[in-house]
Amino acid sequence: MQSIPSPSAPTLTRLADALRRAIGAENVLTARSDLMVYECDGFVIEKNSPDIVVFPRSTADVVKIVKLCNEARVPFVPRGAGTSLAGGCLPIGGGVMIVLMRLNRILEINYRDRYAVVEPGVVNVHLTNALKGSGYHYAPDPSSQGACTIGGNVATNSGGPHTLKYGVTVNHVLGIEAVMADGSVIQVGGPAEDPLGLDLVGALVGSEGTLGVVTKVWVKLTRNPQAWRTMLAIFESCDHATQAISEIIGAGIVPAALEMMDQGILVAIEAAFNFGFPLDAQAILLIEVDGLDAGLDQQRDQIVELCKKSNAREVRLAKDEKERLKLWKCRKQAFGAIGRLSPSYCTQDGVVPRTQLPHILRKITEISAKYGLKIVNVFHAGDGNIHPILLFDERDAAQVERVLHASNEILDACLACGGSVTGEHGIGVEKIHFMQKMFSPDDLQAMDNLRQAFNPGGNLSPMKMLPTAGGCGMEQKHPGRRAAL
Amino acid sequence: MTTSPTTAAEVVAAVQQARAKKSPLQPVGGGTSLQFGLQSSAPVEQLSLAQLNRVVDYPARDMTITVEAGVTMQDLATTLAKEGQRLPVDVPQADRATIGGVIATNWNGFRRFGQGPLRDFVIGIEAVDGNGLLFHGGGRVVKNVAGYDFCKLLCGSLGTLGIITQMTLKVRPLPERSAWLACGVNDAKKAEAMLAALQQSAVTPAAIELVSGSVWQQQTVLSELKLTPQNFGLLVLLDGTTTEVLWMKDHLRREWREAGIVNPLMQDGTAEPWPAVQEFSAHVDSPLTVQASVVPSGVLPFVAACRKRDPDCSVIAHAGNGSVFVRFARFPDKGLGELLMGDLQPAAAAHYGHVVILNAPPGAAITHRSMWGGEAPLGVMTAVKRKFDPFDLLNRGRFVY
Repeated sequence: MQSIPSPSAPTLTRLADALRRAIGAENVLTARSDLMVYECDGFVIEKNSPDIVVFPRSTADVVKIVKLCNEARVPFVPRGAGTSLAGGCLPIGGGVMIVLMRLNRILEINYRDRYAVVEPGVVNVHLTNALKGSGYHYAPDPSSQGACTIGGNVATNSGGPHTLKYGVTVNHVLGIEAVMADGSVIQVGGPAEDPLGLDLVGALVGSEGTLGVVTKVWVKLTRNPQAWRTMLAIFESCDHATQAISEIIGAGIVPAALEMMDQGILVAIEAAFNFGFPLDAQAILLIEVDGLDAGLDQQRDQIVELCKKSNAREVRLAKDEKERLKLWKCRKQAFGAIGRLSPSYCTQDGVVPRTQLPHILRKITEISAKYGLKIVNVFHAGDGNIHPILLFDERDAAQVERVLHASNEILDACLACGGSVTGEHGIGVEKIHFMQKMFSPDDLQAMDNLRQAFNPGGNLSPMKMLPTAGGCGMEQKHPGRRAAL
Repeated sequence: MTTSPTTAAEVVAAVQQARAKKSPLQPVGGGTSLQFGLQSSAPVEQLSLAQLNRVVDYPARDMTITVEAGVTMQDLATTLAKEGQRLPVDVPQADRATIGGVIATNWNGFRRFGQGPLRDFVIGIEAVDGNGLLFHGGGRVVKNVAGYDFCKLLCGSLGTLGIITQMTLKVRPLPERSAWLACGVNDAKKAEAMLAALQQSAVTPAAIELVSGSVWQQQTVLSELKLTPQNFGLLVLLDGTTTEVLWMKDHLRREWREAGIVNPLMQDGTAEPWPAVQEFSAHVDSPLTVQASVVPSGVLPFVAACRKRDPDCSVIAHAGNGSVFVRFARFPDKGLGELLMGDLQPAAAAHYGHVVILNAPPGAAITHRSMWGGEAPLGVMTAVKRKFDPFDLLNRGRFVY
């Protein structure tokens, strides 16, 4: 097994000095206490501190950083807000972390041609806020949208509740400027659709920082819908709720969002937000249809009927915009409420064909019992994108071990019914060992070929996404420091 | 010579043979877009995907379908319609055009404005690269970020990175009702104002088509639009439930009345487009057909540039997306290269776009540079090509590299 050689202390000292000279000392961190902040993202199971953290303020700064890292043969990894959940910005082997949060300007908004140009550190919701009153918004709305950045969204191809109807990040990115692993700058795509040549935008989105460091993004703007109908369907069993999902999708209705929350998570959300959720319900569906006001009552009635057919106890309608926004606040901040349930949690991310939702939820219940772990569910049901949340205490090594095993079993079950091990969080380091289960050696060879074309030296984001990246047949070992250790 | 494999394994064998013989291959679907891009510089052996034409899996309630590359768009539509579903990508010559070819050429129909581009519907792909490697990307679920997105990378790659053998598509329900509204617009300024207004309208069209030129003047069903070589026709497609379509029809008529359009032409209750809307670019009687991709506000300036060179050209634009198709009435006197480099590429580039050839006479002299004149990171594209097809077997010389 080949691993990344850790850079020597003198090399790092020289590099840090050179970086200070190149981009200003105020944009470089090297003190151990400062670096601790950057030792993990939202995936807390594994941690490793970078040796140096830098904050570029321009594309030119990123170029200088990348060139200096290459000269010193020190690996580098880009990072946005660090909200990702699969360890995509874990600095394996240390090295330099390029934090793009200070590249945070909205450069242009063009309503006639429906695009905006932003720097990667722009927080997702800041773009939508900047569009308020224009009748447009930026459609991808990950639950972390108050913190996560557009650059990070591009890296992980983020989704969100409303991607059921509106699509994920890749469907909304027109162009990218990126600094390549060798320090060259490329622009792929731009304001117009169908750019010349290969769809490198499609290749870069979701590449988890392994193909380039994104420094500018052209995104599509989406018209706001004229009206909404938001419903809360209450069920006595998870089976009935998943059955309703199947009925709605099967009937050819594409809601704007179709989210499920089970009792475990409802208790925490209710304690945090006092919405008035029925705590005796086993599951609720949050269903939103949007579009022309003229067609919505008909769609709403159809959905209510399908829910009732699937034994919904009650279907409530959000009575006004205020109630609707409160419902969405509850859903999007559900993760924040989990702190009430346990000291640590691991959010899993798997996908199954939508008709397999009843099966996979039963499987999760079995796995929860088998490992004696509490698992709660809040997820994008309409896409078949499950988010079981495994509750544990990271100070207990035995629990951490059980969480890893239970997670693996859930994801294996997703694969067994024709699904995927990640719908929107990414592979990162967390799921690298699943790549060989999901893809053939030839598939992985083709992926490695693509990475080699962009990132031949492997100095950019080493040991991520592909089991072969940065090492020959690297075994799945948890490369960072375990949370519990 | 043509080989016609019936399985992906036979495609692998054909690529390995080509590699051994060092002879290039041209993957062919229905043969409707063989003029797309440049013509191969070397004598080629064709590899037909026509016999890879099975529906592999169609779990209709999951709203996905997995098919082989040689399935024609018409057969695909028929299969999906039985379950009340569709792939909302309308292509010319649908009885011949295959889904593999449509993906390889990144063909987008007029419904792109309301339904999104073709690339958004491809969620899984299988292909054989120039090394003979059978590889997959994506999967069979609608949301999936595991691994690099080969679905996007292969979409529009013109078969130069891999011969597409199979794909999984996300599909949509068929609309309950469709209606077209059309009006004549006197000049470019007014047309631009109406296009911009449509983007702000409460109406949510499935398609916004701008047409002009003799092809449209000859359409008797459009005669009420009183089209001349100087004016334009604006065609709007509304898809949805009956309630939605009726509301939109009413609302749009009201908006247009305020803009001075009193009696728009209507075609209600059928999904069929007006003749020529779908088939426009397929007509081979035109000596030259090009497609430009520009920003939406660049559509009218680009059309003006084309009319300046050929006042008798005919145009249809998916105006909400900036895709412009132009059929020239005559071949340019000074040659194709001069037309592209002198006028069309700069006119498109001024609006962040570029032009590709859809149809030109055999032997029309054209250089790589004039064909692929736009700005693009060719270095990275070439590096990708070399990894996927190191012997340059697949569609040699036809694409940007």
